[in-house]
Amino acid sequence: MSSKKVRGNPSLRRGVGSKTTDSEKIMEDPPAGDWLALRSDQLLEWIDNSVYNVAESTGMREVVDRITRPIFNFAQRLSPHPLHFGIMCCAIEMGQASAPDHDIDRLGLVYRSSPRQCDILIVNGPVCEKLRPKLKTLYEQMPEPKWVIAMGECAISGGPYWDSYSVVAGADTFMPVDVYIPGCPVRPEALMHGFLTLQKKIRAKEPGMFLRR
Amino acid sequence: MNIDEFMQQVSSFKGVSNVSKIRNNTVKLDLSKEDSLAFFISLESDFEHCSLISAIDNQPDFELVYHFSCMNQSIVVDDSDCAVMLEAHVYLKRDSPSIDSISNIWFGANWHEREAFDLMGIYFIGHPDLRRVLLPEGFAGHPLRKDYVYEIHEEEW
Repeated sequence: MSSKKVRGNPSLRRGVGSKTTDSEKIMEDPPAGDWLALRSDQLLEWIDNSVYNVAESTGMREVVDRITRPIFNFAQRLSPHPLHFGIMCCAIEMGQASAPDHDIDRLGLVYRSSPRQCDILIVNGPVCEKLRPKLKTLYEQMPEPKWVIAMGECAISGGPYWDSYSVVAGADTFMPVDVYIPGCPVRPEALMHGFLTLQKKIRAKEPGMFLRR
Repeated sequence: MNIDEFMQQVSSFKGVSNVSKIRNNTVKLDLSKEDSLAFFISLESDFEHCSLISAIDNQPDFELVYHFSCMNQSIVVDDSDCAVMLEAHVYLKRDSPSIDSISNIWFGANWHEREAFDLMGIYFIGHPDLRRVLLPEGFAGHPLRKDYVYEIHEEEW
């Protein structure tokens, strides 16, 4: 009677990583994804080595950057996607700005419902203490580059609720704000002007560089 | 049952006083805190809807106002088919702002009581889940009380 029989059914203890006999070695699972597939960190390392470092050392990055920067900036500036997130009455004006009278889609603004697909977070109302961590989470879920618009008095400074027990005094107390739009509530024209101001800001800062770190 | 008969019947309850009709279809009464639960249990068969529980800070005492609606026509107003409402006032001492919970009788009262606890600090005995509902967890104090001091709150947060 061999020692194999004593150990029991080999199929039950496959892949645990314990010592196996020669006949069982064929059946052992490989460590997950180590050589079957390219892991994401390995992919990033490969990109670093073969693309970024090569482009940096040969000076190609500067060259490609000069060429692509205006194009990337143009595309980024003229198709910002705000998050479709409404807090209070300024959200009604945000909806009015999308309506046929002030057709804000002609500026390239398409409201998306997922923060993963958005560039702009519009804070359009008073942020209360219970909402603040959720809004911060939404902001952190958005991919870079991202901008924040504080729309209306409540988002700028707390507005009429500035000394309330539960309203945060301004969205800029916990997140960076790029454009402030005053008004209570903000007119759709003012919102449009805010978006145009943000487009000017994007053009001035020139994001969208090639292989940006 | 007519609304006048209902007023007669209700005024014989223990703890009920000052029964009056403030509108054509609305009965108002004062209720003592100790007998409130027995009274509310007797109301359950007629009044199927707990419309509102509001808390008032009268300095120094608290006042709870319960609104119940009877929409199944078991109590009627003459020459009208409007729903009968009951308005019960309960006065609570400031040093013991607690009352028996009615959220096991009317399930809709659950969040009304949580809100009254959150903002005014009324403790509902027997409530299944007495947590804050509007303010974040860990908030210091009950902000709608008249003696709530905002500076304390500012230091806490």
